Amino acid sequence: MHKKKMIWMFLFIVMLSGCSLKPDVAKLYKEESPLQSEIIIPDTFSANEKETIKVILTQHGERVEDADFVHFEIWKQDGTVTYYMEEAFDLGNGVYGISKDFNSDGLYFVKVHAGNNGSIIVPQKQFVVGSLSKSELDFLQKGQQSQIEGHEHHH
Amino acid sequence: MDETTNRLEEKSKKTTKAALYKSVWRWHFYAGIIFAPFLIILAVTGSIYLFKPQIEQVIYKDYYEVNPQGEKISASAQIEEVKKLYPDAVVTQYRPGENDERSSEVGIISNDESLTVFIDPYTGESLGELNNNDRIMDRIEEFHGELMAGTIGDRIVELAACWAIVLIVTGLFLWFPRKKKDLSGVLFPRLSKGKKVFRRDMHAVPAFWITAGMLFLIMTGLPWSGLWGNQFQTIVTNTGEGYPPSVWIGNAPTSNVKTKEIADVPWAAENLEVPKSEVEGYVPISIDDVVEVANRVGMHPSYTVIFPNGKEGVFTLSAFPPKAQDEATIHIDQYSGAVLADYRYDNYGVMGKIIAWGITLHKGTQFGLINQLISLVICLGIIFVVVSGFYLWWKRKPTHSLGAPKAISIKKMKLFLLLMIALGILFPLVGLSLIIVFLIDWLIIKRISKVRMFFNA
Repeated sequence: MHKKKMIWMFLFIVMLSGCSLKPDVAKLYKEESPLQSEIIIPDTFSANEKETIKVILTQHGERVEDADFVHFEIWKQDGTVTYYMEEAFDLGNGVYGISKDFNSDGLYFVKVHAGNNGSIIVPQKQFVVGSLSKSELDFLQKGQQSQIEGHEHHH
Repeated sequence: MDETTNRLEEKSKKTTKAALYKSVWRWHFYAGIIFAPFLIILAVTGSIYLFKPQIEQVIYKDYYEVNPQGEKISASAQIEEVKKLYPDAVVTQYRPGENDERSSEVGIISNDESLTVFIDPYTGESLGELNNNDRIMDRIEEFHGELMAGTIGDRIVELAACWAIVLIVTGLFLWFPRKKKDLSGVLFPRLSKGKKVFRRDMHAVPAFWITAGMLFLIMTGLPWSGLWGNQFQTIVTNTGEGYPPSVWIGNAPTSNVKTKEIADVPWAAENLEVPKSEVEGYVPISIDDVVEVANRVGMHPSYTVIFPNGKEGVFTLSAFPPKAQDEATIHIDQYSGAVLADYRYDNYGVMGKIIAWGITLHKGTQFGLINQLISLVICLGIIFVVVSGFYLWWKRKPTHSLGAPKAISIKKMKLFLLLMIALGILFPLVGLSLIIVFLIDWLIIKRISKVRMFFNA
């Protein structure tokens, strides 16, 4: 009788453990250490003054000092402003930035190209300077998959 | 010990042996009759599906082949062309094509139907669309895997596969030569011993020859099954020795970007005073960035990009080429392009590698044509053995009963009972079906004498 109970217990355990994957099962296999970024857009833009766009890079939960490379490119949706890819200033403590003029109102994109220790990222953020034009609003409402990216230069 | 006890002991041994033989035969008999049709279906559909690469190359030639001319246009431009043709479609997949003469494929969902649009990557022109429901090889695969009957079909196929193992085990027992005289009727059929012997040999001898191959196909096919396969894969992945999560079971990692940091689409139509915080935020990377990552990390050229499902989803690069060693599954953050997981064959655990090889061997792709031909021979062998077994029964069958070997109380055969319980635990569906058989036997067959006669119970 005891043996039977053991068999049922075994079956029960197999069924239970078989039901789902362990939540941290990925740790048993090869893991990546992706770069993470937070792009910081200034709250306000004033005419005739340069504004600094920053990115904070972290990897493994730690700030990334001396990243392998950090480049910024910025363009306006209507194509009237384009700042080609340019190396960022190292502001220390894992913060990198670039200062540019934003003298005309509208919809802008910033794309950061950053790489460190085998991980390369290309996060892209959209932001608004002043107010949006009608055509920019239309563009946003049509969905985000038709970005103008004709000017891209890759390393 | 005196002679009489000796003789008595020998006699009782003989009767036990005969009884065991009879009940093994009985199980083989019923399992064979019930699962014969399914084994035929599996072998026939499997034989056809083996040649999927060649068949699709012929029937979809016009969709597949393109003339290389100059540079390929970008993935985003190709997808733009598809969007022009299908304005309301949602793009779900993109496959760049593994060589210069191969078209690219854009998977879309249009009017609730999954379509594949084939694009000439040099001109951006559409070569035509295929509705995924119309792809004949996919239907055959569905027949092979689930009898075109969804979950129920999947369970029936799994049950048939498991019972085929029971058939192999019991069949080997029946085949095993008891008089070690010569190998005729064992390794080759006896031709001059009359029709009855010949009929038996035409089942048992070929069956022995294909046993290893058949068992291999069953064992490599089972990881696909919905119940046993999923449980098996889960257990193996949990040990760290299987497929990494998301390759077979388990979810892909999610994006690192917090949902509130993602740019929203402003729907407030006529209002130009859209709140900045709504518009400001991360936007998904373009498909061209994804293709660049694929090239950078050295993806197998036959890869497919699966688009993110929702805001937290990831781009998944997936390649399951003919050879197991070339497999790769890579997940990319849709907002940063960061590689979140990169699982190659080398990153599989030992069991994962074995399962992967099993699958490519089962599909006949691992070693190309020679692999397909060996598998085809096994499939044809299975069909022959099933048919000859059925014929054997048909010829022996008395008119008013099934002609099953006499039932012997299972309680008298502890070893056999244990073996059945073990199989029932290892393959829960077999266990479940055994319980059902037992209940039918106990509630119906044993209680109605006519039925009892028919089943020789």
